[in-house]
Amino acid sequence: MLIIQRLVQLMLISMVLAGCAVRPPVEEPAEPMTASQELEGSPALGLLSRAEQARQQGQTSAAERYLERALNIAPDSSWLYKELAGLRLSEGDPRGAEGFALKALRLAPDHDDYRAGLWDLVATARDRQGDKSGARQARSKAAALRNPKARPV
Amino acid sequence: MGAPGQVAKFTQIQVKGTDTSRETHKTLTLFSILRAMAKKAKKSPARSRRQPNRKKRSSGQQRRWFSWSFVGKAALVCLVLGAAGLAYLDALVRERFDAHVWQLPARVYARPVELYEGRVLSREDMLKLLDLMRYRRDSRAATPGSYAVQGNSLLLHTRGFNDSDGGEKAERIRLSLSGGQIRSLEAGGDRLARLEPLQIGSIHPQHAEDRVLVPLDKVPPLLVEMLIATEDQAFYDHHGISLRGLARAMLANIKAGRLVQGGSTLTQQLVKNFWLTSERTLSRKLLEMPMAMLLELHYSKEQILEAYLNEVYLGQDGARAIHGMGLGAQFLFGRPLEELEPHHLATLVALLKGPSWYDPRRHPERSLERRNTVLKVALNEGALSKADYDKYSNRSLEVVPRGASALYAFPAFIDLVRRQLARDYPPEVLSDEGLRIHSTLDVLAQLAAEGALRDHLDRRDPDESKKLNGAVVVVAPAQGDVLALVSNRSSREAGFNRALDAQRPIGSLAKPAVVLSAVSQPKQWSLATLVEDGPVEVTLPNGATWSPQNFDNQSRGAMPVVDVLTYSRNQGTARLGLDVGLDKVAGTMNTLGVTRNIPLYPSILLGSLELTPFEVAMMYQPLSTGGFSTRLRSITDVLDKEAKPLARYPVNTDEVVDAGPAFLTQWAMQQVVEKGTGRAARASLPQDLKVAGKTGTSNDFRDAWFAGFSANHLAVVWVGRDDNRNAGITGSSGALPVWAQLMGKLPQRSLSQTPPAGVEWVWMNPDGKRVSAEGCGDARRYPMLEASIPQDSDGCGSVKEAGKGIKGWFKGLFD
Repeated sequence: MLIIQRLVQLMLISMVLAGCAVRPPVEEPAEPMTASQELEGSPALGLLSRAEQARQQGQTSAAERYLERALNIAPDSSWLYKELAGLRLSEGDPRGAEGFALKALRLAPDHDDYRAGLWDLVATARDRQGDKSGARQARSKAAALRNPKARPV
Repeated sequence: MGAPGQVAKFTQIQVKGTDTSRETHKTLTLFSILRAMAKKAKKSPARSRRQPNRKKRSSGQQRRWFSWSFVGKAALVCLVLGAAGLAYLDALVRERFDAHVWQLPARVYARPVELYEGRVLSREDMLKLLDLMRYRRDSRAATPGSYAVQGNSLLLHTRGFNDSDGGEKAERIRLSLSGGQIRSLEAGGDRLARLEPLQIGSIHPQHAEDRVLVPLDKVPPLLVEMLIATEDQAFYDHHGISLRGLARAMLANIKAGRLVQGGSTLTQQLVKNFWLTSERTLSRKLLEMPMAMLLELHYSKEQILEAYLNEVYLGQDGARAIHGMGLGAQFLFGRPLEELEPHHLATLVALLKGPSWYDPRRHPERSLERRNTVLKVALNEGALSKADYDKYSNRSLEVVPRGASALYAFPAFIDLVRRQLARDYPPEVLSDEGLRIHSTLDVLAQLAAEGALRDHLDRRDPDESKKLNGAVVVVAPAQGDVLALVSNRSSREAGFNRALDAQRPIGSLAKPAVVLSAVSQPKQWSLATLVEDGPVEVTLPNGATWSPQNFDNQSRGAMPVVDVLTYSRNQGTARLGLDVGLDKVAGTMNTLGVTRNIPLYPSILLGSLELTPFEVAMMYQPLSTGGFSTRLRSITDVLDKEAKPLARYPVNTDEVVDAGPAFLTQWAMQQVVEKGTGRAARASLPQDLKVAGKTGTSNDFRDAWFAGFSANHLAVVWVGRDDNRNAGITGSSGALPVWAQLMGKLPQRSLSQTPPAGVEWVWMNPDGKRVSAEGCGDARRYPMLEASIPQDSDGCGSVKEAGKGIKGWFKGLFD
């Protein structure tokens, strides 16, 4: 009985808090993470879309320059680092990709799917550098984020 | 000859690694060969006659030395030789012209100024930038390179430029600045604009020829009209030489009794500039004429004009020769040629008659008079209206003072760029091929750094009797961009690059590495762990005893690790470092980016290691980014002379320190500025700005250091004497004020106070071994790695065990 009472109390408290919290911890985000969640209203968003365009046209160094400029404007954007990581991976620079992916993780918002995707990126980058055990570790982190209950021991 | 109006394509002009002085030398050699051949032609037939002569003489027969067949043969030989010489000249003319062997030194540009809504930029700084870039103030900002002030907002007409991302077109933008920020920005597409990168230098390894190539279609037509009107009115009609001009010149020469006038056409002047020395000799004149005619035979008037405009010698700037109108415009007026007004153009044309005689800086009256003559000629020839003539002949010369330009103003930084380039490009490529180097220099940061060092040293050592000097390195840590580099209190003076080459003991700057090594072993140490600040004695292998003293010669006993750093305790650091292990501390320094071999002496704990200010910046860079190491770069992009991207110097980053220990070390370094040896900096910084740093002083007060950072700027300051004598300074008094003034001038972002995963805020009992709670006695709050949070509690307070997680989360809301 007491336990149920406690639980109800806790739920109520957390609901109230969820209402007033600036950034409540997200358990099950319904929406997938997008760039605009981080960069809404920032001029960096324009540079990001130019970078994407350049990348589609195969102009990777232009894309990189756009992303570096965007980072000067929005230095704490995890998304921009993720884009740089992806760019490096496609350029055949897995080491550079790993560094940027880890940096993206450091800045990443509390969003499990997004973080899991970054760990996948780290895993791929490590694989391509021949770091099998590092890649395995990264994959299990991704898996744990996607399925918190099946956390590997 | 090309049709008039045809514009010479710049792409045809190839730059080759040839050097003019060598070329001239070759020509002179050729000339002497020709002369030698001519002599031979005179002699050898004679000799060949003489021998049979002798035979004949020996046979007793007398013969005339003159014979018609000899004359005929000699004439033939002369003709052949003349034709051969002409053919050689022809080849020479074409080879040189086709290859257009202009040496184009690599040019170095600052980072383009990025303008966007929300950017921190004061109105004062914006105007300072526009002034440096020589934007003209006019009422409507009608042309690129001009601006208008309209109430609270600025109307800017930017200049276009190329970059590896395509660059920017010239456009008109409106921005309003208030409260030290760009409040709004209206540009063509989005709310983002860039000012062209400011040229800050060029790289010419050996002897200096400098040039800014301007294609003919970018040359103001008025300049061409003035040039032709004053120098060679028959330019479009003659074939390289003008007999009328020559006759006039000869008349003048006869009158003067010596060579005073050349009567040269523009083509001849080009030949002179291109192939010949400037001696006024008859032989030169004789060679000049056929070459000029050959030039006219092969090339259009437009091509010749373009070459002339880019080749002509306009003066000397120290060791640097000023060639061409493009560079002349920059040298005299600090602006691109396209933006010059008629009286500026006339000043350039006026120089042609005698670059040093009519030097507008040294002989302004003479220059002004000649300039107005040029304007008058332009008026007479119909190139200028009467109204314009009246207007512009009344303007002053408007030459920018020498040294006021940003060009060559930052020798220490250019030196860094040169060193980084030298690893990737051979010297001849840098001196000849016109590369455009986009650097990382931030002009405002550079000026702030220079000002801070100068102001401080002027206060500490006003008459320079103490011989104090210093160096500053400013870095944007996330991308590793070197924003500023100062290596002298007189920052424009080149010479010993203290920032890159002054290798000095780093003193207490080593201490964060000791702390980082400790907290990286969370089972043994946290920031709350007590360390004994008391006498330490180590017997060294050579039998000597190492026993460091504290700065105040006192021992304060047990104190938490964080306080050892905050108050820069030597004995406490030594004790901690010895417990952690010298090898671990040296390993940490290597991890942070020290590439030198670190000897495992206990004195390294207190900074006996000698590093340059630049190396210190490298070592502190990962500390400032929470553990991500990024190689420092001074170059972002290299473009070729057509501004096509050649190479990038991309950012690379590696996680070298785990998030947790990095956060703890950074937090400890924040305490240095909050309440420790760096607290004097607080006065110059915004109240709520979170920054971190460390003071450093070497033995006998020889070196004063401060290295510290916000989230977006890392700055290292060193002050000392070149002769490494006692400078009577400490990190706090000698270097910190420079750092504080500099950081206070730049837009700053706070270091993040949100702990990474695996770190929690915990109230700790002063014994450093038990958790406590807020308000309990002397309990203090620390960021703690989970592995170092003790199980034991001192029993004070109530909500600790169960509430840890939630409490941390609550804190997160308000932090």
